[in-house]
Amino acid sequence: MISFTLNDETVTTDDTPDTPLLWVIRDTFKLKGSKYGCGAGLCGACTMHVDGVAMRTCVLPVAAVAGKSITTIEGLGTPDNLHPLQAAWIEHNVPQCGYCQSGQIMSAAAMLATNAAPSADDVDQAMSGNICRCGCYPRIKKAILATADKTDLATEAQA
Amino acid sequence: MSQHTTLTRRHFLKTSSIAGGGLVVGFSLMGCGDTSPALRSAEGTMAPNAFLQIGTDNTVTFYCPRDEMGQGASTGLATLIAEELDVAPWHFDVQWAGVHPDYNNPDFGVQGTGGSTSLKAHYEQLRQVGANTRAVIIEAAAGLLGVNASQLSTDDGHVISGSKRLPYGDFVNAAALLQAPEQAPLKPPHGFKYIGKDFSRIDAMAKATGTAEFGIDVDIENLHHAVVKRCPVAGGTVATYDATAALAVAGVSDVVEIGSGIAVVAQKYWAAKKGLQALEVQWQMPKLASVSTADVKRDYQAALGVADDQALIGSEAGDLEQGFAEADHIVEGEYWAPYLAHAPMEPMNAIVRIENGEADVWTGSQGVGAAQGLVARYAGLAKENVRSHNTYLGGAFGRRGTLTHVIEATQVAVATGKPIQVLWSREDDLQSGVYRPASLMQVKAGVTDEGKITAWQATRVGGNISPETMANMMPALLPTAVGDGTIDWVVGLADSAFKGWVVDGSSVEGLAEDYDTGSHQVRHTTVDHGLPLTFWRSVGHSYTAFAKETAIDELAARADIDPVAFRLKNLTQNPRLQNVVRLAGEHMQQMQVAPGRALGFAAHHSFATDVAEIAEVSVSDGKIHVHRVVCVVDCGIAVNPDVVRAQMEGAVMYGLTAALHGNLELEKGQVVESNFHNYPILRMDEAPEVEVIIVDSGTSPTGVGEPGLPPIAPAVANAVFAATGQRLRSLPLQLA
Repeated sequence: MISFTLNDETVTTDDTPDTPLLWVIRDTFKLKGSKYGCGAGLCGACTMHVDGVAMRTCVLPVAAVAGKSITTIEGLGTPDNLHPLQAAWIEHNVPQCGYCQSGQIMSAAAMLATNAAPSADDVDQAMSGNICRCGCYPRIKKAILATADKTDLATEAQA
Repeated sequence: MSQHTTLTRRHFLKTSSIAGGGLVVGFSLMGCGDTSPALRSAEGTMAPNAFLQIGTDNTVTFYCPRDEMGQGASTGLATLIAEELDVAPWHFDVQWAGVHPDYNNPDFGVQGTGGSTSLKAHYEQLRQVGANTRAVIIEAAAGLLGVNASQLSTDDGHVISGSKRLPYGDFVNAAALLQAPEQAPLKPPHGFKYIGKDFSRIDAMAKATGTAEFGIDVDIENLHHAVVKRCPVAGGTVATYDATAALAVAGVSDVVEIGSGIAVVAQKYWAAKKGLQALEVQWQMPKLASVSTADVKRDYQAALGVADDQALIGSEAGDLEQGFAEADHIVEGEYWAPYLAHAPMEPMNAIVRIENGEADVWTGSQGVGAAQGLVARYAGLAKENVRSHNTYLGGAFGRRGTLTHVIEATQVAVATGKPIQVLWSREDDLQSGVYRPASLMQVKAGVTDEGKITAWQATRVGGNISPETMANMMPALLPTAVGDGTIDWVVGLADSAFKGWVVDGSSVEGLAEDYDTGSHQVRHTTVDHGLPLTFWRSVGHSYTAFAKETAIDELAARADIDPVAFRLKNLTQNPRLQNVVRLAGEHMQQMQVAPGRALGFAAHHSFATDVAEIAEVSVSDGKIHVHRVVCVVDCGIAVNPDVVRAQMEGAVMYGLTAALHGNLELEKGQVVESNFHNYPILRMDEAPEVEVIIVDSGTSPTGVGEPGLPPIAPAVANAVFAATGQRLRSLPLQLA
């Protein structure tokens, strides 16, 4: 049995320890927002936060997250309570097919958490592990930079 | 509009019997073994036609007849109805239509989504649906309010009567008892409120929050997961297999042989996957197993060498010999385009459940009727006993018209008696798929010193796209009663026809249509080694535009004329494309080009749309860098301009992946590339800025999903020529 925190709730699974976290989340805990794209850590569709760090969960054995805190797209924000990035995604009409977007948003959120004012190059670097086959890259970049600008303003206003 | 549209429209305006509490009227979904959810109209709703249901609570449900694969069809089609119904499209609840002829694609006559047709084909039909429905609601309101209909207006789902603003829902019960008009007047384009305006896609919220349901996400009770080991060479069959080790893996419940290979079944995906790794299979290899890329290229080259004697003539006009005689310069080039995979982000998957002589299939496909037909055929059921449920598609690009995974899920469900989800791995997707054909093309063209093209001979060698796609579709679309033997016979007949007598239009489209060529000839020789082929975003245009637009650039250079001016001079018969080229050329002159960079130009007509693209490129460290792309598009009325821009941006990125990276190699019949490490997809750090300019137009919409792709590879290649003097004639583009 392996226990970890999933979107602020403690959960336990009897999946075999080598099961990738992605499949535990999808098949056992039935959260379907995180996607399978390559099974090899190459496309980023499965990205979740493990203790706040963006990880490729299709190659991360569930045993490695025992006792850790996992956030999925469902834990980041909901239609009624959007994360600023999700609001920006809608405003900038980012998604096309939408399949990779949970992973894109999770990668972007992890980056903004450590770099609140990224340059365009920073965004390129942080996001180049996430493939979008529909080619939404210019809009993803715009939405991230716009969110960072807004968050910056908010931080300055508070200061 | 095609005949199909007219018939369909007449159909759904017919009043049918009252059902479900006397609230359903004007309903055309009669008989034919309906499996459409729209049929199950609830009490307290009005369903005036196959596409709409309006509740007394003012909810508007739209049964979207086309599949949403990212191209924005659900937003665009909702907008067409919304415009005339006068309800904001973002208030629509969009549901996927089930299988019924009323949902056929008016351009195809079957329920398929592709060919950049959705907005073009439904433009008139769905606006008429909205207008007729609004008219009958107004008539009902006039009766209930005791006023003349001419005193009423509408605004976003409300009837306006003097100072009163009353929801449509107040009138739907009364409206359901009236006969809707058949031809309520449509708005003139200058009165459009939603068409032509930018607003967020109606699926943006679901897709930004991980709540959009794709096929892979569907879950049903007792669902079992299956993965399949297939022959590494397409067309191979199982010789022997040993299931012992696979069955010993914890969680594995079944190992069964199916048509495509051996399936391993477990309650959870990961257990099935581990079982598959333990499975041992020996294969009976097909003829393709002796073929590697070098053989393909050699055979194509040989066929090109004897094209004068052996190629079929696809189209010709004018006197080619005289055209070459009039030319001051003759340019001749050979162009190569490799096999490609579609690689949508969501790998192929399908769920099939068979119970009590009925079946359900859930899969995100480009043909909900085809999925139904395949399940019926392989489960031995009548089609009307199979419910086909669509979902969002995690990308398609032509790939989700071939539904091998539906056949597999059906066969495993039949063999095990369990509800089954088959999921392909990325390796399956790249190595066991259906592919964009490889092509060797040759263009020989003559030009005068003044820059007039006098002769254009284009030859293509490769496999054919249409017969294989037909072979995939026929078992799905024909009645189950038509036996496999008959289908094989018809498919074989078509295949040999395309090899021996007629040229497959999809294989050569775009090679010679755009320019005034004086005289022209298109030739084709089929050389097919047996790798399965199908449509791939923009189909034949995906490679023909590369040959054509590079050759045009070569001609311009030889005649020493500016490439844009050269195109304008030779596009007098094609004014819409000429206009797009002119606008793009004007834009190009204004562009500030950074030192060390160069611009390349290309233009192409496909799917009834005209596109010109400019690529700003630099070359360093032996690599091609694309910094910026400008795209000018005339697609008629842009129903949602931002969706059009997004499609152009996306097509540029998809085309750049092909231009800079896309390549599949065959090694003894097996596709070498297995995942994104060796089949790289363009990533953000390589993605250029894209500026899209939409030509203002008042004409009906034309294609958008595909036409942005063909010009990008030649635009980049032409920019590389401008930057380096190197003429690149082989895809993916590589510097010498």
